[in-house]
Amino acid sequence: MGARVAADSVSKSYLPGPGAAPVEALADVSLEIEPGTFTALLGPSGCGKSTLLNLLGGLDRPTRGRVLVGGRDLATLAEDDRDTYRRRTAATIFQFFNLLPTMNTLENVALPLLLDGAAPFAADARAAALLAEVGLAGKERAYPYELSGGQMQRVAVARALANRPALLLADEPTGNLDSKTGTQVLDLISDLVAHKGITVVMATHSAGAAARASRVFNLLDGRLVP
Amino acid sequence: MIRHLLPPLVLRPLAKDRLRFALTISGIAVGVATMAAIRLANASVLSSFSDTVDFVAGKASITILADGPGVPEETLERLAWLRGLGATLAPAITETAATGASEGEIVEVLGIDPLADASAREYSFAEEGKREDNKKTFLEGEERIERAATSAHSGGVAARPEETHTFEESPGLFSVFAKQSLLVTEAFASRHRLKAGDAFRLVTNSVERTFRVAAVLLPSGAARAASGSIVFMDLAAAQEAFGKVGRLDRIDVVLPASLSDADRARVLEEVSASLPPGVTAGRPERRTETVDRLVRAFRVNLSALGAIALLVGMYFVYNTLSISVLRRRADIGVVRALGASRRAVFAAFLGEGLALGIAGSALGLLLGAGLAAGALTVVGRTATELYVPSAHPTLRLDPGVLAFAFALGVATSVLSALAPALEAAGVEPAATMRHGSVEAARRRRTRPLAFAGAALLVLAWAATRPEPVRGLPLFGFLSVFLIVAGASLLAPAAVTFAAGRLDGIALRLFGVEARIARANLTGSLSRTSVAVAALTMGLSMMVAVAVMVGSFRTTVATWVGETLAGDVFVGPASGRSGPSLGRVPEEAIEAIRAVAGVADVDPFLAFSATRDGAPYTVGSGLFAYVATYGNLPLVDGRDPRRVFAGALANGEAMVSEPYAEKFRVKTGDTVELPGPDGPVRVRVAGVYTDYSNDRGTVTLDRAHFRRIWPLSGATTMSVVLAPGVSPEEGARRIEAAVRGRFALRVRTNATLRKLVLQIFDRTFSVTYALEAVAIAVAVLGVFNTLTALVLERRREIGLLRVLGASAARVRRAVRYEAAAIGGLGIALGLASGAAMALVLVHVINRQSFGWTIAMHWPWAFLAGALALVFATTLLAAARPAGLAAATDAAAALKEE
Repeated sequence: MGARVAADSVSKSYLPGPGAAPVEALADVSLEIEPGTFTALLGPSGCGKSTLLNLLGGLDRPTRGRVLVGGRDLATLAEDDRDTYRRRTAATIFQFFNLLPTMNTLENVALPLLLDGAAPFAADARAAALLAEVGLAGKERAYPYELSGGQMQRVAVARALANRPALLLADEPTGNLDSKTGTQVLDLISDLVAHKGITVVMATHSAGAAARASRVFNLLDGRLVP
Repeated sequence: MIRHLLPPLVLRPLAKDRLRFALTISGIAVGVATMAAIRLANASVLSSFSDTVDFVAGKASITILADGPGVPEETLERLAWLRGLGATLAPAITETAATGASEGEIVEVLGIDPLADASAREYSFAEEGKREDNKKTFLEGEERIERAATSAHSGGVAARPEETHTFEESPGLFSVFAKQSLLVTEAFASRHRLKAGDAFRLVTNSVERTFRVAAVLLPSGAARAASGSIVFMDLAAAQEAFGKVGRLDRIDVVLPASLSDADRARVLEEVSASLPPGVTAGRPERRTETVDRLVRAFRVNLSALGAIALLVGMYFVYNTLSISVLRRRADIGVVRALGASRRAVFAAFLGEGLALGIAGSALGLLLGAGLAAGALTVVGRTATELYVPSAHPTLRLDPGVLAFAFALGVATSVLSALAPALEAAGVEPAATMRHGSVEAARRRRTRPLAFAGAALLVLAWAATRPEPVRGLPLFGFLSVFLIVAGASLLAPAAVTFAAGRLDGIALRLFGVEARIARANLTGSLSRTSVAVAALTMGLSMMVAVAVMVGSFRTTVATWVGETLAGDVFVGPASGRSGPSLGRVPEEAIEAIRAVAGVADVDPFLAFSATRDGAPYTVGSGLFAYVATYGNLPLVDGRDPRRVFAGALANGEAMVSEPYAEKFRVKTGDTVELPGPDGPVRVRVAGVYTDYSNDRGTVTLDRAHFRRIWPLSGATTMSVVLAPGVSPEEGARRIEAAVRGRFALRVRTNATLRKLVLQIFDRTFSVTYALEAVAIAVAVLGVFNTLTALVLERRREIGLLRVLGASAARVRRAVRYEAAAIGGLGIALGLASGAAMALVLVHVINRQSFGWTIAMHWPWAFLAGALALVFATTLLAAARPAGLAAATDAAAALKEE
């Protein structure tokens, strides 16, 4: 079951350097996302999409406002609870895949399971099943550098699904893929929403990719625009 | 072009990663410092000795020495013809004395003939003294010359008119003619608060005598010998004080400056021809060569150990540059795309190695000069205790040694930079290879490297076979080096093998952090295996030395237990010095024999001789004593009682194991000894184990010995007490019996045993210090590698945090990685160290010193030391683990 996601007047400022004036990456952003829906955050580079995803993923805390996932205010979570949140609730896939180059595909997918305390054999079995699900059966022993971009992104999706998350955050998931492979990955993500009821929030600068979402939020200079 | 490449590829990254580069420079510095300190200490010991030889030799161009117990005084008569050429003959006694029976310092004594010596050696006096007094002593001297001229034995001392110097020329020198007078150096006088006319006591040949300071010498010429720890006395007085009446230790021949080189060579030939048997003529510096040969094995072994620290430092450079190349791969690709040639990229990275080498070596020299004083204390003490009792080494910062250490440091750095520089030069323009594929390419080399490593180990075994080269175990050292190199090349295979085999178990036992650590180990194999190899190298030397020293110590302890059959041991009092100097007079032996409760006495009497230029000892003891007590175990396991009884009956010799090894002598062979009337040939009845020295000894029965050489007394003696008399009581009675007459050092069996092991431990303390340095450098290497890997893996660590790994788990993963590096280094170090220990014990030690050592594995020490190394490795991981845990996931993932 997907998670309900809400941002309530969220702002995020950074200090680019000592003595420098703060830069506002997000300004007063409020939005609500229904569970089990596919939402796109659309905007050019530097508009604040990734910042918002980091806040939703529990990687960062807002300067002002609240981020609620499944009714919980992420800012109130203790460090341990945030780790657990990232393991169990919110999974992320990235433009550059971010697979661990030192692990093979099976180990990459099994990693979140093992981090969550799964028994090694159970983790391996589930990882193998997930790889089969994303069409990579037989590639369990391959290392990331031996895979194509599309294959790597599918491994990343399999890894994201390992702990059955309620929220999938996708940061430009097709940005580093050719259009055909990009479409395949978007199909895969749409399937997850349709068949597993996962809430998907995708950051993208491509209007074409955003068109696959059921709802699109436009971001410009850190603000939601109509 | 290089000029333009240096800033982006070398200088800026260098400035950005200051800690790692500082560590690398420190790694080289420690290696160079260790090497420099050891070499400086060795050179100081040797040059102190050679200076003494030079200062004592003075202006002499020929020095006549005895290859036996002394130069017969008649030799001067045989060489009388030299005076016709205008040459001067300066006879001398060179001895050592102590300035107090138990706590005194050791001082060189030069017995001189003042009439001849003023032409041979330079003396300058701190104070002229009263002219009248000197005149008086000079006249006394004249009278003694007259007396000497009529004596058959000392006729040669009488000077011919052409070599007689008038009082006006060197007034102070003649003051030594005064009875029991000495000339002392300024340094000696100030140390003992002495001035002309003062009295002080000196122990010569077991007798404490009072002498008077006749004059104080300025530090020039002969007075600079032994760093000023030298006194001068009249030749006849020295002969008497040291029991050498009728014999000389040397004759220095000063040839007229007008003689051509060809004439000098001809004179040397003629001098050699007119010498009695057992006496040889040569250039004065040959004494230095003899001492050099004496301490060479010790010196070379120490230098070889010092080189290990440098080798570990070499790994540092390789590791740092290797990481640099990997991290700057994309930049290299860009500059290549912009037109930089391969050669320029190669030169830039080699230049980095050169710069690191220069900075590290320069720092190493400063550090080395500081450490050298400490090293000299240890090395100097060992040289004094075991080899040259009168050596008074002072530290000299020999520019040659410093230049050598610097050059070696720079050369090894450049050599270590070669492989990474070649790799950098191989990067294609605008390379976009992923990290994983670069590592994968390196991983593919694991198998060939392992085969090469195995081949080196086979070669290491083969290198244990050949004989020593000029008395040095050069192939043994090669074998050790090949083991180190072979084990290092096996490191990547060991890491891969262990990671593959232990992944499942580690995952179950330690959780997913163990898998992350395992993945990092194999994923960054080129870096982690180098850290493992560096640790292996340091540890293998530690293990090898610990096993060798442990085995040696146990063997010596057992041997001491077996051979020290006596209850009490007596030798001449020699101040603070370790070894006994001089001899116990015959009267003292008789006095001890007569002590109530003394059942048996075995006096050991010896002198030094040379064979093929290498020094050894000719000794004597009572063979009947060994035939009774069986206290000298034989190498071939035969019963010493039977063999010594047979040798006694047949007039045969026994030789020590180092002698047998050094000169390739075995039972049944004949050895040639320097008899006063020509070589004496004696059959060897057996070879006994002897760890007391590595010079080698030929031992005859005392009666047999004394029939050949007119020597009396004992160098040391072993006393067996009657039943019921405790060693302490026996020692007290002996001391009471000789008190006031002889200055002897009396020790009980237990005290001597303890002392032997104390000296042993002191001798090897420097080896432990060296190993500690090598290990410290290796552990720094682990720290360096882990820090670099953590910085390099920021993105991956960030990802782990995104996947829900807590900071504590990330920290734990780095610690596990360190534990794996430490564990693998220890396992490989233990294995290669054991192999090296076998080479050290059975090849290097045997070929260097001639000792057979029984293997003994000091498990408790090894377990403790290895546990300490393991703990230190984990400690070294603390900072990198902290860095990893503090990684800002969002920021790390944003970086591209």
